[in-house]
Amino acid sequence: MMRGPRRQQMKNPHVEADQFQRRAAIGFLGIAVAMMGLSFGYFRLQVLQHEEFQTRSEANRIKPRPIVPARGLIFDRNGKLLADNVPAYRLEIVPEQAGNLEQTLAALGQLVSISSDELEQFNAARRVTRGFRPVSLKLRLSEEERDRLAVNRYRFPGVDVVPYLTRRYPYGNLFAHVVGYVGRVDAGDLEAMGDSKDTALTHVGKSGLEKSYETALRGEIGYENVEQNVEGRVLRVINRDPAKPGADLQLSIDVDLQRVAMEAFGELDGAAVAVDPRNGEVLAMVSLPMFDPNLFVNGISHVDYNMLTEDLSRPLFDRNLHGATVPGSTVKPFMGLAGLESGMRRPEDKILSTGEFHLPGVKRGFRDAHAGGHGWVDLRESIAQSVNTYYYKLAVDMGIQRVDEYMDRYGFGRPTGIDLIGESPGVIPSPAWKRKRFKQEWFLGDTVNSGIGQGYWLITPMQLAQGTATLADGGLRQQLHLARAMRHGFQESWQPLPQPAGVRIANNASNVRAVQEGMEGAVNGPHGTARAIAVGAPYLIAGKTGTAQRVSRKGNISLSPHSLPLNQRHQALFIAYAPADNPTIAVAVVVEHGGFGASTAAPIARKIMDAWLIKHTTPMSGVLPETQGKTPLPPDATLDPDEEPAQ
Amino acid sequence: MIAWLRDWLLEFLDKVDWPLLLALSAVMVVSLIVQHSAGGGDSHVVIAQGARFVAGIGGMVLLSRVSPARLRNWTPIAFALTLALMPVVFAIGSGRSARLWINLGFFYLQPGELLKLTVPMMVAWYLHRSPLPPNWRTLAVCALIIGIPVVLIIKQPDLGTGMLVAASGAFTVFLAGIAWWRIGLFAGLGASALPVAWQFLMPYQKDRILTFINPESDPLRTGWNIIQSKIAIGSGGWFGKGWGQGSQAHLDFLPEHTTDFAFSVLSEEWGWIGVSVVFALYLFIVGRCLWIAANARDGYSRLLAGALAMTFSVYVLVNGAMIAGLLPVVGVPMPLLSYGGTSAVSLLAGFGIVMSVRAHRKFMS
Repeated sequence: MMRGPRRQQMKNPHVEADQFQRRAAIGFLGIAVAMMGLSFGYFRLQVLQHEEFQTRSEANRIKPRPIVPARGLIFDRNGKLLADNVPAYRLEIVPEQAGNLEQTLAALGQLVSISSDELEQFNAARRVTRGFRPVSLKLRLSEEERDRLAVNRYRFPGVDVVPYLTRRYPYGNLFAHVVGYVGRVDAGDLEAMGDSKDTALTHVGKSGLEKSYETALRGEIGYENVEQNVEGRVLRVINRDPAKPGADLQLSIDVDLQRVAMEAFGELDGAAVAVDPRNGEVLAMVSLPMFDPNLFVNGISHVDYNMLTEDLSRPLFDRNLHGATVPGSTVKPFMGLAGLESGMRRPEDKILSTGEFHLPGVKRGFRDAHAGGHGWVDLRESIAQSVNTYYYKLAVDMGIQRVDEYMDRYGFGRPTGIDLIGESPGVIPSPAWKRKRFKQEWFLGDTVNSGIGQGYWLITPMQLAQGTATLADGGLRQQLHLARAMRHGFQESWQPLPQPAGVRIANNASNVRAVQEGMEGAVNGPHGTARAIAVGAPYLIAGKTGTAQRVSRKGNISLSPHSLPLNQRHQALFIAYAPADNPTIAVAVVVEHGGFGASTAAPIARKIMDAWLIKHTTPMSGVLPETQGKTPLPPDATLDPDEEPAQ
Repeated sequence: MIAWLRDWLLEFLDKVDWPLLLALSAVMVVSLIVQHSAGGGDSHVVIAQGARFVAGIGGMVLLSRVSPARLRNWTPIAFALTLALMPVVFAIGSGRSARLWINLGFFYLQPGELLKLTVPMMVAWYLHRSPLPPNWRTLAVCALIIGIPVVLIIKQPDLGTGMLVAASGAFTVFLAGIAWWRIGLFAGLGASALPVAWQFLMPYQKDRILTFINPESDPLRTGWNIIQSKIAIGSGGWFGKGWGQGSQAHLDFLPEHTTDFAFSVLSEEWGWIGVSVVFALYLFIVGRCLWIAANARDGYSRLLAGALAMTFSVYVLVNGAMIAGLLPVVGVPMPLLSYGGTSAVSLLAGFGIVMSVRAHRKFMS
């Protein structure tokens, strides 16, 4: 490369300069011709084909714009509004038009209060949104803030105050777990929506009925083609594909009963479900503690969210759907029915309770609640007095396989299918499950424990309510549901939502009747475990108590129930229906750390039933009768012998 | 220090080629006006572009004070250094779809842009000491000097810059007087190699070429840019829609309207008259530079200044044709008009070399 010129090819500067000038001239000529050609290309586009492109440019001023319909409203059974749409104003920024975003945000911060949470959410949303799409900064502006922004509008290009409808839950926390809440569309929602026009939504249902009926409540998004001027301002609407408003929902829940159920718990945590056994309608459904769903609608702050998630009582946790617990003695009516249905027992067959049940060859016994035993008891008495030995023996006689078959038929171990999403299935104790979960063998002792609802059982309050309602309805299981009717528009009439036909779980009605008599005895019999709640009731109650003790604790019962993690709280249970001769309400109540059962869970059930039945026997009065508050409920009700946890 | 700087500047102004400087300034002023509109009145864009011009003019003034002889002596080192940066880009480079930039903290360095200067420098350096017109042996060496950086740049992948670097080298050889029959032979070879080259293109590059052949086949994705740009240009008419009135740009129908499609904005708002005036300015700049080259003192300066001038015209022709749908979309900006850092700086630095050639011209002319 560094070699000098070859001898026969001497460098001649003058020749090279001349050569260059010729080439440069040719090059310039070529470039000039090419540029003229290009200029002609532009001439063709801009002058010769101007008309065509002018037309297409004008057509480009027409942009499609989504129309978001009003979300369907949610009412209780009496037409009280549980989820409402209220007009609100949100602050939006189109990042690409806003110029220096930091300056804009700082200047806006002086006009409206922008929290660090809102700023963070704005920045997160901005990252997944294309620059020319608006991003919400603040979802609710106060009237003052709106006025201040209106005056200063000119200072902020790309900043807009947009009127829209936002969700409001007038009853606050009362329906937190039932109606649920809507929340800001997040990255996950956007992914699920894909390219559909739903991406125009600002809110979607995140929990409760808002989520399970999302499609119906949402309606269908419409589109309109609008003409814009050069600044992007809308001049006129050219055509419109109208939105279809969301459907309204009518629930079977009664606001007043719901409130009674909540207040009946006082300071206690727990869950209660009341259903109409004749049709599966849920009348009240509370999970305590509750939270205010309104907090979630426009983006919950970190402080609020942490308070909710760090609370040991877990307010966000829906105990009715997920709070599966050991059913304890509440399982006995179902076990009893299984015994009759399987032919292992007749109602009048008597079993001797000596206070302790022994498996052959095992020294340690399984105890009864009464130290000396209950003597000879038949099915009815075994339920009324909650006699463990009767069920120890029954479970062993039936064998765990057969027990499981019947429990499955009664709806345990699988979701009830209520119209909410994510219901826990619970667990029916079985050797297969124990092996899978604990990698341990099944012992006969496990079968014995299963007979009285201890051991490997897990049942949700919803399943208990379903089971109770089924017994109340003579063995016919109705599909539990919260939404009972829907209407597509304000002027339309309510269309009942079809429910599947009831499933008969018992072959013989007299078997169910025997169990019912046992439950009536538990409340009204001379030795009934829950006889305290019958006092002063103008109607006949049938019920069954139960206890679930999670962790053995001695001596620290005085601890505040709120200071213990959920999984260490023991639970008092009570299931009931009334009036016993013609049931119109069935209730399941679970009280956490509920001291001793009949004294905590049963009175709550009583208050719920009073509110429903006394109100309904005096249909014209909107207010509950005075007597209801005065109904004597002995504060120190007889200690339920059943509450002694079985070993 | 101040006094020295003042004298230095005065000397620059004394020796500078005023016609070229004025024409360049005119293009830069047009650029700032167009950017103000294309950026939607965002002063940020205008200020950033202005800052780059200031940096570029600084580089231009500096290089115009370096004598061509000294530049020539540094050429092999400069070429080796810029070529050595290419592997660095592959290792730590960043970029949206291709690894083009090295982040220097305060500035994104794009080695491909530097090679636009150093490749013609190196070819000119080699040719000026070889007998001209170039023989086969000389041409083979030139092919290596041009080919290695071009292949590396296209691998990045940056087809536009690769093309421009190749063109700058090829123009040097052309100006050195390569025989016409050899040019014909190379053109024939190149044309027959096209199907092979096609295999090596990235999918998005193939996409762009296919879309160019039939833009309406894909009106929502790749074809969108070309269609919207043609609408922008065509709707401009004779006189344009007026500054800041281009609905295509302002309603976001036109993509990349501050960078590759900045000239579409100009066409929409200023019409064919505006387009022609800007084309005339560009042609004047090219012509003036070639005239300066023709009067250069030595072979190196001549070849280098001439090659830079001709390469500049390629920017204009390729970008202008691309946005009008006359060529496939390649990432070539409209020189000095499009928003973009390294390109403006390296272009102005190139003009600094031309100005130096002018300042050290032959005495007899």
